[in-house]
Amino acid sequence: MPNHLALAVAGGRKTQSLIEHCQSLSAERRVAIITFTQNNQQEIRHRLAAQAGDRHNLEVLGWYRFLLHHFAKPFLRFKFPKLRVRGFDYEGRPFRMAKGKDRFMNRSHELYSCELGRLSAELMGTTSALLRRLECLYDEILIDEVQDLSGYDWEILDALLESRIEVRMVGDMRQAVLSTNPRGQKNKQYGYAAALKWFKDREASGLLDITYKTKTYRCRPEIATFSDSIFHSSWGFPSTTSENTMVTGHDGVFLIHSQHVNQYVERFQPQCLRHSMASAKQLSLNFMNYKASKGSTFERVLIAPTAKIETFLKKNVHLETTSAAAFYVAVTRAKQSLGIILDHPGASELPIWVP
Amino acid sequence: MITKIRIRGYRIYKDFVLYPNPQLNILVGDNDAGKSTFMEAISLCLNGRIGGRGVLEELNPYWFNADLVSEFVAQRNAGRKPALPEILIELYLQDRDDLQVLCGAINVDVPTIACPGVFLRIYPNDEYQDMLDEWLKDPSALLPVEYYICEWRTFADKELTKRPRALSVATIDSRTVKSSTTVDYHLRQILNDHLEVPEKAEISLGFRNIKASMTEGALAPVNGRLLTLEASLQAEPLALAMDQTSRTSWSSVVTPHVDGLPFAMAGHGQQAAIKISLAMKRHSEKVTIVMIEEPENHLSHTSLTTLLDRIQALATVDQQLFISTHSAYVLNRLGLDALHLLNRNNVSRITELDPSTVRYFQRLPGYDTLRLVLAKKVVLVEGPSDEIIFERVYSDLFSRRPMADGIDVISMRGLALARCLELCASINKPVAAMRDNDGVEPEDLRESVKSWLDGMSRELFIGSVPDGRTLEPQLITANGEAHLREVLKITAAANLETWMAREKTEGALRIANSKKVFTPPEYMQAAAEFIHNA
Repeated sequence: MPNHLALAVAGGRKTQSLIEHCQSLSAERRVAIITFTQNNQQEIRHRLAAQAGDRHNLEVLGWYRFLLHHFAKPFLRFKFPKLRVRGFDYEGRPFRMAKGKDRFMNRSHELYSCELGRLSAELMGTTSALLRRLECLYDEILIDEVQDLSGYDWEILDALLESRIEVRMVGDMRQAVLSTNPRGQKNKQYGYAAALKWFKDREASGLLDITYKTKTYRCRPEIATFSDSIFHSSWGFPSTTSENTMVTGHDGVFLIHSQHVNQYVERFQPQCLRHSMASAKQLSLNFMNYKASKGSTFERVLIAPTAKIETFLKKNVHLETTSAAAFYVAVTRAKQSLGIILDHPGASELPIWVP
Repeated sequence: MITKIRIRGYRIYKDFVLYPNPQLNILVGDNDAGKSTFMEAISLCLNGRIGGRGVLEELNPYWFNADLVSEFVAQRNAGRKPALPEILIELYLQDRDDLQVLCGAINVDVPTIACPGVFLRIYPNDEYQDMLDEWLKDPSALLPVEYYICEWRTFADKELTKRPRALSVATIDSRTVKSSTTVDYHLRQILNDHLEVPEKAEISLGFRNIKASMTEGALAPVNGRLLTLEASLQAEPLALAMDQTSRTSWSSVVTPHVDGLPFAMAGHGQQAAIKISLAMKRHSEKVTIVMIEEPENHLSHTSLTTLLDRIQALATVDQQLFISTHSAYVLNRLGLDALHLLNRNNVSRITELDPSTVRYFQRLPGYDTLRLVLAKKVVLVEGPSDEIIFERVYSDLFSRRPMADGIDVISMRGLALARCLELCASINKPVAAMRDNDGVEPEDLRESVKSWLDGMSRELFIGSVPDGRTLEPQLITANGEAHLREVLKITAAANLETWMAREKTEGALRIANSKKVFTPPEYMQAAAEFIHNA
């Protein structure tokens, strides 16, 4: 069971390492590359086409699609003998107390996305045919952004690790901003950075080897160091080193007073990031949400902080994990410069930009 | 390899399941027993098409099982609300690694099982619910097939658009007379499967080049002249060129030739032989399912022998053969143990036939085992005179000929009784067997075959030794010499026993045609009563 996990920092060329792995494989090897976002799938398909040539044994698919086509659809009858999967309900949620089939599907027998992991894990337990089928279909399964697994997904991953399939994962525990089940309680302890412990346990039992990639090829050293500071040292994350030595005349992390924002934007044309639609309403900038920016790279970034981020900057009060992860994603999008809109710097030692 | 076939609601099949043998399957049955329909269903489910055309194009109300449809109409008219009839064909496949992509539990087996497989289902399309409701107000046996839809999927619930890569199927249908100019769909499919991918690519490229050279060669002067014609609207140049679209691919032009003659012009027997060789002799590791309909058609006895030899020589573990036949010769030669006896919605098969018995009939392929298999009940006798006398005895007793009761009287003509009884036992066929005692005590004779006898539906009947060694003295004992002389119309000058021994068949015929009273030997009467009640 030679399974591999590479834990890398943002900008550590995680996805690229998977692409390069695919290049190195013989054309006969049947490989599934699994990711969590549509954007990421497009990106991987694009890069594979450009760099790995025409390989019909490489299949790029999302986690939901993976579960739907290899778990739920073929084997549903082991739980519900008369039923068939009639579709996928991404938005819908079961009633809180729903039992039996109503837990997993709506009235049109479309599966709820949030319960798909649980259904798949349970089906996996009912028949050995499921894993045997997967073992015959794929020699290797590559998982990008593995930190985004949640709830029952971990049980499925556990079975994959013990299977004949070679599993190769890359991820960044600091970036766990997406959750496949927004309301799931199962395995909550693995939810975020504690996933690291889960992997370390598997490593100890010989299922997995873990490598750490602490080099970022994207962020300037100042940004890398700042990104490390977002998480309390008790997490035990190794610190990031930067390979970006480019100098542009405006490099590093800066605080920007709200009255200078327009000038700053005009001068540096940064990508502006905010937490969500509801935040930073007083600013009319071309914003992108933190989570949506995941996987992207920008020359320069300007962040509109949330109140909690402001507190973190001013008083060094650490964020809770979800917020920290989201902020980490936003910060690490920037290659050269990161601006943060803040009127009163408090205890922050970050340089203040003035026009 | 197919491990199980389920057909529901399709033509004569209401709800039918057959478990085929891994390699050879010989389908026998009366006309109308569903042999062709069975093969058609397999082909339909493997190809998702029928005769090269889409299912919905070909679908008509007669595809549906008539019993189910009339039951449906009757229930509807009685005010109940049964669902519209559907068609379901399921093929369960061997649980092989290379077939796992087809694996899943979307089949109707209970309890739920997961295995590789494909299914084809034809059912009412609920998008047309309003039209269906309208039709249901006055239902008839002609189902509204235009509102039906077809789904063709794997057991993993994945839609199929073409035959799964791991499977190949060839249908060799020697019955229908095909157009003499074109290569039919089945042959094209067989040919396509026979050629390896690089071979096909090579042919395709070569064909394209030839077409291109035609455009540059013979067509070039013509095109020179056409240029001056100014036929088009805006005087765009007009030219003739070979059609390079995929519709005109090589497969419609490249055909097999036999000894210089186009395939379609070769004899039907030759065609069948070539198709069988092409379909069975393949290099790739695909699962190959070959279906051969009535290979005995269009073939002389010699050619049939050659063909059967070839089928046997080409058979490998990766091939599963389905052969329908009306010929006992085909059945015996290929092996009786591969037999499936189809009878409309039912199938029975040979169980536990001793391999030496299979070989015995393979060496004696002329023997009419098929008659034995197809009969409702069987009476086994030693020779033609026994056969003729038994017919008379049976008619006297029950005022009907045995055949009218589905009883086939078969002469063994020297064949070993034990083998015939074993065959009857293996297909659970009621049988009454008779033989001469040849001076041996009946109990001793019975000993060697008693494992096939059960006294209920299979029994052996032998006359007692004091009543005579063979049929003729038994007849004399039963009727008295004087009466028998009258029946046979022999003069007192002739020795009755010598005459009868010499003129066995003639004597039997005279007894059969005689209007005089005839007393059967006891064992023959017992046999007639036994088989009548069996």
